[in-house]
Amino acid sequence: MRGHAELARVWPRDGRLRLVGRLHDHAPEPATADGWTLRVARRGAVGEPALRYPAPLDGAAFDSSLPVADLVPADTFEPPALWDVWLAPPGATGAGLRVGRLLDDIRNKKTVMVFPGQRVTRGELTLLVRPYYTIKDNLSVEVRPGR
Amino acid sequence: MKIRYLLLHAYGMGGTIRTVFTQAGALAAAGHDVRVVSVLRRADRPYFPLDSRVRLFALADLRHDHDAEPDAPRGPLRRLADRRAARPPRFVPHGEGGYAALTRGIERQVIDYLGELRDGVLVTTRPSLNLLAARFATRGVLRVAQEHMNLAVHQPDVRAAIARWYGRFDAIAVLTQRDRGDYLRIAPGTRVELIPNAVHSLKQKPSTCASRIAVAAGRLRPQKGFDLLIPAFSRLVDEFPDWQLRIYGTGDRGNQLRKLIDEHHLYNQVFLMGRSDQLDEELAKASMYVLSSRAEGLPMVMIEAMTHALPVVSFDCPTGPSDVITDGKEGLLVPPEDVDGLAAAMRTLMADEGLRAQMGDAALATVQAYSPEAIRDRWTALFESLASSRTG
Repeated sequence: MRGHAELARVWPRDGRLRLVGRLHDHAPEPATADGWTLRVARRGAVGEPALRYPAPLDGAAFDSSLPVADLVPADTFEPPALWDVWLAPPGATGAGLRVGRLLDDIRNKKTVMVFPGQRVTRGELTLLVRPYYTIKDNLSVEVRPGR
Repeated sequence: MKIRYLLLHAYGMGGTIRTVFTQAGALAAAGHDVRVVSVLRRADRPYFPLDSRVRLFALADLRHDHDAEPDAPRGPLRRLADRRAARPPRFVPHGEGGYAALTRGIERQVIDYLGELRDGVLVTTRPSLNLLAARFATRGVLRVAQEHMNLAVHQPDVRAAIARWYGRFDAIAVLTQRDRGDYLRIAPGTRVELIPNAVHSLKQKPSTCASRIAVAAGRLRPQKGFDLLIPAFSRLVDEFPDWQLRIYGTGDRGNQLRKLIDEHHLYNQVFLMGRSDQLDEELAKASMYVLSSRAEGLPMVMIEAMTHALPVVSFDCPTGPSDVITDGKEGLLVPPEDVDGLAAAMRTLMADEGLRAQMGDAALATVQAYSPEAIRDRWTALFESLASSRTG
């Protein structure tokens, strides 16, 4: 699938992760606009179904969010758990369009465009869920033990 | 004319080093015999480029592979001498920022070097070196003390030493009007000359002032006031959601500033950019420069920003910004540490691209007086006047 989902804003607050942006280099079928989903897949978790959240398009624009508590794996896991984020049309067989920020002039986003983590408690455990840009400027989310 | 500049560490990367290199290069280009003498050497090559006509050498080479004679015999006398040399300096006040970098042995090397000088001009560039020059470069060399910050920032023991010894200088060179007055009072009878630092070039790419990027730069330290700038910018983000604030620099307050950005939910608009190798490029992309410092000497990055035709919003620090800009002409001056005022001034410029371009043009006109050639002519005039008053 051609193109990517270009982020304008990332809002990690109030227990949710909200992503705002526009599809780039991809003309969505207008009839499918309401059926697009945010697809969040745990890296290395082969066979585990991806999480999906509604992400209806307005033209090429998207504005979607999810509760960060969903990203704490139910099973025991070797931290950090890493999630990659995609935007997918209804009935897509592939992964969809990768969500990232590729079009501006800021290099080294992994260390420059940094977002705060949000705490999630799971039993005795406190975890920190934090979105971050990968070295390829795509958006991923890490879950690791916090204080 | 033979001109020597004495720096603590010419191989490092501070603003003093850069501006001294610019001065030295401009004087060498005009045919003078110029040397830069570095007290310490901790790197193979200087960080900033230096004109090839300028000779550079160091008094104490501290690179690891230059340890003094590791295989030399170490008798008791030698060990005693080593211990003595490692003691703290004797003539440099404890409150001088470079105190910890010096030892008695290195201080002795500086004193020996100063004692050999017989002619030409010696320009020393920070209080520790100025004080040593005042006391030990006594044989015919014309001595000029340069102040790269301002008198008010020095610790009481440093100011006391300045009051006692700076009267021996042929001239004291300062960067700001206010500092000139302070030095005239502390060293009565000594010539005090106002000569600003030069920008490294006036041939810069101008900003169009059309982007929605405000830029600030400096060490991430309390002095630079980024902890005031971030709350000021936070008052503007609802009105100007497309604007970014990019802060260039590194320093030990990075984590605190990051926390402030997170608390104000500014992570989509305010970025700690780290160090840039291409600050010129980054300045050209911006639309205004913001200076939020609590104190400054002469703020060189602000002046560099003006060479890119950027308008300035600045706190009116006790010294510095008002020496360069006039409120309403090249930018806007705001009472020191007034966060609301800073936000209001930024709003004025963010809302008006025409005003940004107009003030940016005025900034470019003003900084013509800071070209390497213009500043070199002021130095040359000073040196010639000192030389002729000595011979005449």
